[in-house]
Amino acid sequence: MTAPAHAPRSWPVIRAVIAKDLIAVRRSKAVVIPMLAVPTLLMVVLPLFVGLAARASSNPDVGRILSSMPGDLARPILDLPQHEQLIVLVNGYLLAPLFLIVPLMVSAVLAADAFAGEKERKTLESLLHLPIAERDLFMAKLLTAFIPAIAVSWIGFLCFCVVANGVAWPVLHRIFVPTQLWLVMILWIGPAVATLGLAVMVRVSARARTSQEANQLGGAVILPLIFLSVGQSSGVLLAPLPVAIAIGALIWVIAIILVRGGAKRFTRDQLAARV
Amino acid sequence: MTAAIETHDLTRSFPSGVALDGLTLSVQPGEVLALLGPNGAGKTTTVRLLNGILTPDRGRSSVLGFDPAVDGDAVRRVTGVLTEHAGLDERLTARENLELTARMRGLDRVWAARRTMDLLERFGMADRADVAVQGTSTGQRKRLALARALLHDPEVLFLDEPTSGLDPAATRDVIDLIGALATEHGRTIVLATHFLGEAGRLADRMAVLHHGVLHAFGRPEEIAAEMWNGIDAEIDLGSPIDTAARKALEQLACVHGVVPLPNGALVRLERRDDLPVVVRLLVERGLAVYGASARPPSLEDIYFAVEARIAEREGRDIARTTAGLISGAVGGGP
Repeated sequence: MTAPAHAPRSWPVIRAVIAKDLIAVRRSKAVVIPMLAVPTLLMVVLPLFVGLAARASSNPDVGRILSSMPGDLARPILDLPQHEQLIVLVNGYLLAPLFLIVPLMVSAVLAADAFAGEKERKTLESLLHLPIAERDLFMAKLLTAFIPAIAVSWIGFLCFCVVANGVAWPVLHRIFVPTQLWLVMILWIGPAVATLGLAVMVRVSARARTSQEANQLGGAVILPLIFLSVGQSSGVLLAPLPVAIAIGALIWVIAIILVRGGAKRFTRDQLAARV
Repeated sequence: MTAAIETHDLTRSFPSGVALDGLTLSVQPGEVLALLGPNGAGKTTTVRLLNGILTPDRGRSSVLGFDPAVDGDAVRRVTGVLTEHAGLDERLTARENLELTARMRGLDRVWAARRTMDLLERFGMADRADVAVQGTSTGQRKRLALARALLHDPEVLFLDEPTSGLDPAATRDVIDLIGALATEHGRTIVLATHFLGEAGRLADRMAVLHHGVLHAFGRPEEIAAEMWNGIDAEIDLGSPIDTAARKALEQLACVHGVVPLPNGALVRLERRDDLPVVVRLLVERGLAVYGASARPPSLEDIYFAVEARIAEREGRDIARTTAGLISGAVGGGP
């Protein structure tokens, strides 16, 4: 039933599945609105308001917050002139966890739609009747969730950079994001977190009957644990570069193990038996 | 001739129970097989097993020489399936549904676009090509789903409840389309349905499933011969047959039974050729015979007779059907 492991992937077929899913998602307001609203709020509106508020306060004392950080982690901020410290601390460091929520959320929503959504719309069976190798179908479904998640988070990050630097310009007179560590976070850790989210949701949604059920199951039980871990990510921006890369690598390893496990369980028989 | 489809002892269970139990049958190339049975009989499971989206627990099958359990994609490349729910993405237009399915089948983009337009025109959907499927009727969706099943010009078609949810006009429309598909290119069609009218119009052979078990398989006339001894003929006498004439008919060796009807009698004959003998006897007795015609049992008669036999074996009571009444009355039934 499955294509042999050495058989080449059929990329035109994978692209067709992705195209179908993305056109359909683009027309679904229930999916598109939260997918665009949350990143806009987190990556544009919030940094703008926080930046403006930080700029408005004169010589704020952020020493108390910085003193709660361990050891040398606060050193890069403490070395800055006092009037720069708040805006750099907030827009440069404290908003960091929110940036990982975007790829996680987008990938989870789309992954839930990928399988449970097909079941809900009664389109899964006709998809299974097509001559698409199981591993190609699985890859297509992963990419359907992964590509928009990365696109939204990267475009959002570009917007954030423009907003954060723009709002801080009168205070700093220089561009302060992205730093090397920010780039590691967005280009390396973000995709890993997106993969982790979709690996979890693909498994959940393959069992759920509706995308709502999948979102509830994933959202109630599993994703909060990932959110908690992601919440610690502002520390990554203060850690040495190799440590940040190693943390990203660890998330990738976990995500890949979960994806591989999901791929093994992804068989037509299992899906068709639940249609 | 090599069979287009063959199954041997095909069996599949789910946690809820056995869905298909030891199915053995064959379908010749160009033949239309009606898979008949009530809901839960195992028809959809059979289609899914034959197209390799389910794997059997036991037994084997082959479709155009490929084993669906081993080389499912090879099978799916030469088959087209119309699922019970049309399975179209309602957010996409009719054209997008077809074109993207063609591309998911690995067909070239230009070819897919051309084939899509051809099929939309053929199925009377060209004017709805760029309308989202959610704005189309159930009948139009079925037509569209049928067009999608034909994108790659498959040699074998699996049609699972093709007319469910359709109004009478749309049902006739879809059946006409399927009839045309069956006669062109010598396509092999497996029609899973519980609507006997469509099966009767289209099927060369029938297979009656019940709780996953095959209870009858063959040409309707073969099954009828198995079920009943002889053939029924309706004699129009203008009024019910009188007792004397009835007894006289029952004396004939070629008559197996007589049932009075409001306008004459239903006579069970050994063969069709015995009908003139019966008519001659009635005329000789001074009765006016306005009409006499042999009436081979319809697929519907046969199906209900098989169902009655199943119910009898299972000790169930069933509504007496036309076929049940006839077979019971003349004593030739199983």
